[in-house]
Amino acid sequence: MILVIGGAFQGKKEYVKKQFALAEEDFADGAVCGEEELYWARAVLHFHEYVRRCLETGESPEELTALTDRLIRENPDVILLCNELGSGVVPVDAFDRSWRETTGRLCCRLAGEAVRVCRVVCGIGTVIKG
Amino acid sequence: MLILVTGGSGSGKSEYAENTAVRLAKEEDLPLYYIAAMKPCGEEGRRRVERHWRLRAGKGFETRERYVDLKGLALPKRGVVLLECLSNLTANEMFEPEGAGDRTVEGVLAGVRSLAEKTAHLVVVTNDIFSDGMTYDEVTTLYQERLGRINRELAGAFDQVTEVVCGIPIQLKVKGSSVI
Repeated sequence: MILVIGGAFQGKKEYVKKQFALAEEDFADGAVCGEEELYWARAVLHFHEYVRRCLETGESPEELTALTDRLIRENPDVILLCNELGSGVVPVDAFDRSWRETTGRLCCRLAGEAVRVCRVVCGIGTVIKG
Repeated sequence: MLILVTGGSGSGKSEYAENTAVRLAKEEDLPLYYIAAMKPCGEEGRRRVERHWRLRAGKGFETRERYVDLKGLALPKRGVVLLECLSNLTANEMFEPEGAGDRTVEGVLAGVRSLAEKTAHLVVVTNDIFSDGMTYDEVTTLYQERLGRINRELAGAFDQVTEVVCGIPIQLKVKGSSVI
């Protein structure tokens, strides 16, 4: 598994397309896709949005941790794209706080298992692991 | 050795800072102190503090809670200190009745400097609260500005500055290098 992180609109998807010769149809979109797609997609966009949707339907961070572990197990070659959310003032809204912290912790877990972690800033990717 | 650790929420910065402090204490057989600046507020705050307790359990830290006025804190022995974290400390100095108020920046910096003098190694955790692109009210903006200034001052003076991203440490400044 390869994890690609960075702020919003930094060019993560374009970076992945170029680096790994992927086309539009290779991406599942975490903002709309079902759980099964995560297990066979070559790449998953907006993983943070997938996390948000799960939390909105009442899933716990622990259940999301289990889902993440299953994803790593069943789709070991997937490329996951996820926004970095944690570098702002603590949100007033409790759900937003939980979403950003859960996403951060899942990314720590994913990064621990990933063979490579890339961080994209201004369209430029830096390999920070692997 | 003075080490500043930064990162966003859920970045794994605390765990990195703890492991760094534990390693430094082991290498020189020094006592290990944890200074907690976070006042647990409500259920979520209690859970957060509990989570940090669990992370630290068994690592040999002696915990001191200190919400303001680090300068007045006495420690029994010269050892390794982990201070967590500057975003809470700065908020406490700004907003708590016993805090430094308008002299928050000076108060926090004097506190950290006095700690640095009293310890063999100091690891300080701060927080990246600057990159969400939101415009906040005047008080929150002032808080961001003050924490930003404190971070910059300390980063300039410290030996090592590390940003933690997804649990991965990125060295922004290492001992012997200078930053502009």
